[in-house]
Amino acid sequence: MWNKQLAAAARAYSTGILTTVDAGGYPVSVRCSPELDDSQEVITFRDLAPPAAGWEGPACLLFHRHDARLEQQYELLIKGRVAPGPAGLVLRPEGWLTGTGSAQTDRMPHAGAPGDLIRFLLLGRRKAREYLAKHQERWPPLDFAEMLRQLDKP
Amino acid sequence: MPPLRLPPEVEAVLGGFFTCEFTTLTRQSQPLTWPTLPYYDQAAGRLIITVSIAFPVKAENARRNPHVAMLFSDPTGSGLSDPPAVLVQGEATVQELLEATPWSWELFRVSSRRQPDSRKYLANPLTRRLFSFYFQRIALLVQPREIYVWPHRDFTRPPDRLGVQYVE
Repeated sequence: MWNKQLAAAARAYSTGILTTVDAGGYPVSVRCSPELDDSQEVITFRDLAPPAAGWEGPACLLFHRHDARLEQQYELLIKGRVAPGPAGLVLRPEGWLTGTGSAQTDRMPHAGAPGDLIRFLLLGRRKAREYLAKHQERWPPLDFAEMLRQLDKP
Repeated sequence: MPPLRLPPEVEAVLGGFFTCEFTTLTRQSQPLTWPTLPYYDQAAGRLIITVSIAFPVKAENARRNPHVAMLFSDPTGSGLSDPPAVLVQGEATVQELLEATPWSWELFRVSSRRQPDSRKYLANPLTRRLFSFYFQRIALLVQPREIYVWPHRDFTRPPDRLGVQYVE
């Protein structure tokens, strides 16, 4: 499964985070330089150091960035399986995920794009209602005045 | 738990990086990694993240399988000079934040300092009402089980294994 638009977005990053599961059942991640191949629909990692060099099994590859004020956020996740290949470790994508669910862009909602914010608002309110219904809960009222007071503490 | 015994440069990363790459495992043991704002609860020797109830996948995964990992590999905004990269593997306990605690207030203050524009949403009665789901949070409290370090964030070499030790 390949997504050329998101593959192009991924090429804007020099590195990504490759994650798999170690022998103890814990996730394990490294930052590395992937090569995306539109024609073969695979992602290759050359020259990985241990422990990543011999990885095999379910894996994912994350690309993300933000600025120094935690704005201008972008995120894109490719999930699939890794296995050794002739030129290095190879990831065969099985799904492409973004923070907003978009299949075209890895940009997260932000104040400069009102359309993004409205979609995020509607999605968030619907999902929150679903969570509370599933867990049969009423969330206690939020104390916004106290939150603001907390922010003014040194 | 008591505080972790860590080299100062690793303490600086856990306490100073604005984001980490946080991984949970699905029912099928598929890892899913997303950038997340971490909080280092130094006194309790643990790391904490929170998620909105609107986007609870990390919490749901961690409830089923508490094995998680946090990679600290992006120093943007931290102000640290040539920090190492740090991987923490651990076990997560999931807790809805139905009432505030001292650590949840500290986490809130640290996160807001790092993302100062978020205050605008909080200060505006309309936006905070519309986005109330953003402030309804679930915490994942991570007790480290193994720590690896890549000096100079050089991933072309194998990491140094720190293990986990506590201050006695």
